[in-house]
Amino acid sequence: MTRKMLIIAAGAAVALATGFAMTAPARAQTGAVASAMAAGTVGEQADGYLGIAGTVSADVRAEVESINIKRRAAYTQLASQRGVTVQDVAAATGCQTLSSRVKTGQAYRIGAGAWQTKGAGAIALPSYCATAG
Amino acid sequence: MKKHAIIMAGLAASALGGCIQVKAPDKPIEINLNVKVQQEVVVRLQRDAQDLIQNNPELFPQ
Repeated sequence: MTRKMLIIAAGAAVALATGFAMTAPARAQTGAVASAMAAGTVGEQADGYLGIAGTVSADVRAEVESINIKRRAAYTQLASQRGVTVQDVAAATGCQTLSSRVKTGQAYRIGAGAWQTKGAGAIALPSYCATAG
Repeated sequence: MKKHAIIMAGLAASALGGCIQVKAPDKPIEINLNVKVQQEVVVRLQRDAQDLIQNNPELFPQ
């Protein structure tokens, strides 16, 4: 009985600690990057990663790199679960970000092409993004 | 009439150097299926990708 409660308490403490550790820096990070995205200096790429589209501070650049490393870790995990390559997961995610997350006026890039600014219409996605029912 | 034509065609063929030669290519024939395979995989992963974005909002700022 007491042992069980101890384990639960320990679990809660760990969850709390990791929760705080995760959210505090993440918020500071996304704020600066989100502002850069709104300004069009950071944008989503079809390859599933963020890219630098204009002039940004060293801090923003570092945060973009940090986010991309975490994205890669998340893609790698999903890829191993699905038995596909990391590149495929990243590309599928890129289709999603370009189709539903990039807002009008924000920058995006497909392949090695030039950075573009999203207009009023939908972004012309790469052919492999076609959604089949 | 038809028979004549066939004979004529046969004569013409033999006059042109005998039989038709079919030669195997030196290089193996390659059929590139990579693009299609990647497309199918990516389409199948769209749902997973959506979940991944929703479950990791800190990695996908807007």
